[in-house]
Amino acid sequence: MRKTRLLIILLMLLSAQGFAQAISPLQKEIYSARDKVLPALVHIQPVITDYRTGKIVKQSIVGSGVIFNKDGYVVTNYHVAGKAEKIICTLYDKEQVKAELVGGDPLTDIAIIKLDLADYKGKLNVADFGNSDSLQVGEYVLAMGSPLALSRSVSCGVISTTDRFFSGDIRLPSGEKTGIYNNWIQTDAAINPGNSGGPLVNLEGKVIGINSRATMFANNIGFAIPVNIVKFAANSILSRGKVVRSWIGVECQELQNLEGWFGTALNQGVLIASVDPQSPAESAGLKAGDIILKVDGKSVSARFEEELPVFYRMIADYPVGSKLNLSIFRGEKPIEIEVVTHELGDLLGEDLECKEWGFTAKNVTKQMAVDNQLDDTLGVFVSGVKKTGPAEDADLMPGDVIKGVNEKATDTFRDFYERYTELTSAGATKVLLTVRRSGSTKFVLIKIESPGPEKTEK
Amino acid sequence: MRKISVFFIWAILAGPALALHFDFGQIEKKASDYTVVVNVKVEVSFGAQTTEIQNRNIGVIASEDGLILFDGAGIDNDNPFSMMSGMTVSAEPKSIEIALMDGKKYPAEFIGIDRYTKLAFCRIKPEEKMKFKYAEFKKRDDFKIGDWLTTYLLMPEFVNPSLGADVGMVSSIFKVPEKFVFIVGFSEMELGSVLYDSTGAPVGVLGKLENPALSSYETSAMMHAISGEGSSIPLLGVVGVDQLEKLINNPPVKGTVTRGWLGIHLQALTPDIADYWGLKTSGGIIINEVVKDSPADSAGLKTGDIIVKLNGKQVDVDKEENIPLFQKQISESSANTSVKFEILRRLNGKVDIMNITAMLTKAPPTPSEAPFYEDKNFELTVRDMVFADYNLYQLNRREFKGVVVKAVEPGGLAAIGEITPGDIIQSIGSDKISSADDAKSIFKKLSDAKPKEAVFFIWRDNKTQFVNVKTDW
Repeated sequence: MRKTRLLIILLMLLSAQGFAQAISPLQKEIYSARDKVLPALVHIQPVITDYRTGKIVKQSIVGSGVIFNKDGYVVTNYHVAGKAEKIICTLYDKEQVKAELVGGDPLTDIAIIKLDLADYKGKLNVADFGNSDSLQVGEYVLAMGSPLALSRSVSCGVISTTDRFFSGDIRLPSGEKTGIYNNWIQTDAAINPGNSGGPLVNLEGKVIGINSRATMFANNIGFAIPVNIVKFAANSILSRGKVVRSWIGVECQELQNLEGWFGTALNQGVLIASVDPQSPAESAGLKAGDIILKVDGKSVSARFEEELPVFYRMIADYPVGSKLNLSIFRGEKPIEIEVVTHELGDLLGEDLECKEWGFTAKNVTKQMAVDNQLDDTLGVFVSGVKKTGPAEDADLMPGDVIKGVNEKATDTFRDFYERYTELTSAGATKVLLTVRRSGSTKFVLIKIESPGPEKTEK
Repeated sequence: MRKISVFFIWAILAGPALALHFDFGQIEKKASDYTVVVNVKVEVSFGAQTTEIQNRNIGVIASEDGLILFDGAGIDNDNPFSMMSGMTVSAEPKSIEIALMDGKKYPAEFIGIDRYTKLAFCRIKPEEKMKFKYAEFKKRDDFKIGDWLTTYLLMPEFVNPSLGADVGMVSSIFKVPEKFVFIVGFSEMELGSVLYDSTGAPVGVLGKLENPALSSYETSAMMHAISGEGSSIPLLGVVGVDQLEKLINNPPVKGTVTRGWLGIHLQALTPDIADYWGLKTSGGIIINEVVKDSPADSAGLKTGDIIVKLNGKQVDVDKEENIPLFQKQISESSANTSVKFEILRRLNGKVDIMNITAMLTKAPPTPSEAPFYEDKNFELTVRDMVFADYNLYQLNRREFKGVVVKAVEPGGLAAIGEITPGDIIQSIGSDKISSADDAKSIFKKLSDAKPKEAVFFIWRDNKTQFVNVKTDW
């Protein structure tokens, strides 16, 4: 008995010794992957602007990013740098450089920034993008970034699932819808606030995702945007400054559980659950309950919710203005419907701070009209009302749409901006806004106590 | 619930007890003739949770045939908050039991709740025709600040006798927003109890004045009341004989709407806006929208018109909080009565004064007044869509049809299928639904056909979707 125990202790010692001397193949792979990507890691400190409290609020935040091209382009999250005014980056060699925003895409939560390398003396390292279509559950991955602003941190885990779907209305902190066009890679590599925008790396040393979300109060449930989505968004932003998408205005629902009722023995197709008002789908006559079987002759299907982003992406990828031939299953007989796609356009409009009047406004985009049940895109949307300001005293409310100033129509953002600058520089003390609120008109009289010089920031 | 009320009553008793010139012996004798305990069972649901609670209220017999009035705040389901918060009280009390002071108990039938005073009414169901002693109220118009009033409040169940005296003092007499004799010294627990003056005569019941905007379905007025400082705290005072007589002679009957309706969206004419438009008037109602085919529409009222007089009387609405006063004047006029408006119409810088007469129609029901249907198989309750729903969700009254899910039983088929209160069911299977009646016949059809599943087409969060509800037939 005693002998065996001794033997075991001896064996353990031996093996520990062996471990210290010869590096395991896994450890080697981790080192190699680390060396390929970590030098391209960027610690990003943007100053972002928030208009939602009725005035401009600047905030310095921390995120991560990775250099993906030798000209100094860095990919990060839209919610890190997409609304950045100025950006300071710290590279892996601890050198600080400035960067500027190239463009962003809230729907995939991707932003591209460009490092200002004029004064940079070091050697720029570039990480390679991998392929997120060939990922395996259980595959080892490293997450790199600045969790809680602790730069150059690496954590390790496996891919927990390759196609996590989030249903419901997911919004970025700045209010834009996101996540419609992609599923997420779920990982147990630790991801904390500050990791956002940093790379998720496989053992080949390729970036396979951009870490972007984590579940609060959970242990290591983090999510990354698959790199193939990132590549698509980055290419669009680099070539056109933004991601241009086709839009037809349908919300779809997984067919599973409903096949019995819709009588499709096919087990195939994409079920339309909702049709946006004033959308191409509505004018083409598509209806909730229609099942799309083919788009331009290509079969489509979403029996499970994880398949929905694939379908949405397929539509979005058509050039704007494409005529799509949809084969529809409606009440037992197949029909053909042609839909002409429109451009999806911006989710949220351009911001304006009306400092003198105490509120912030946006132009109304098509998507805002759909979201807020507005009849049209005319007028300007009140995005925030400042506490204890003239607008709050006058009972202007966030969500109001300003249709007129002093009983003259302000159909466009430009009309409104002109009226605003004209009236503030003239020192107007009373301004009557005509607004739409909950489907009815309201008059809001703003009294400006001591008109000062024009202080507008756009 | 009951524990809290016991605590509160003791807290009141510990308050100031002033020796005043009341003949308490005589008042107590009178009070015990017609003061009753009203035990009301209601179902309260919050989201998917439903519980039955019992309210123990003080009540007063108000007529020989056993009409009883009591504070209805605890069983009131007609308030705009419940519509938004999802907290609802069952449409009807499950049961009411009346206990007289001599120990006799009778079941009673619920009649309804007055929208404004929140006084509830029920009637004793006697085995044979009976005559009850009742409170004969004395009219008093001459209350002064400093007058003392007494009332008898309900003691906790474990003590005897059941009644205890309390006193309060007239603290102020409000003229605006409406005439109201405000009293200090009483608590909300005593709402609905009879008030006696120093001669020992019953002069009214204890009621409350709360910001009228709180019970308004006009969203902006309500938002005001909620955000206003301290304005949601109710003020206690006398519900006088004039008001009581009106209610006693014509108690508000549940489900029958006689309120008048004009059909406009409106806004207060504040001094600022009046001044901006160069109008020399102290207040009024700006018509922001005229509901199509409403009495206002037929009378020729137009968006932008300003109502300055109603039946010859100045409309003093100069702030948003006071809008409900105008609405109350309209809704207190019965349907099919005509009202005269003096309006200002602004056109190209000119202001015309015009007289317009409108014939009011019956007001659209509130969500709690809407006809409903409860299905035992799917364990859900749906109700008709009403005017307030269309406004709240900004839906088109002509095109959009459906029924609103009022409640789902936890663990029931609808709940398992993830149907939630507030969903609007537009169709089930291929049958379109536009009323509780439709729902009734469709659910009947389903219970005959006994399918394995039913597909609900619902509207939720501004979108439509399909929901598969599995059955267990």
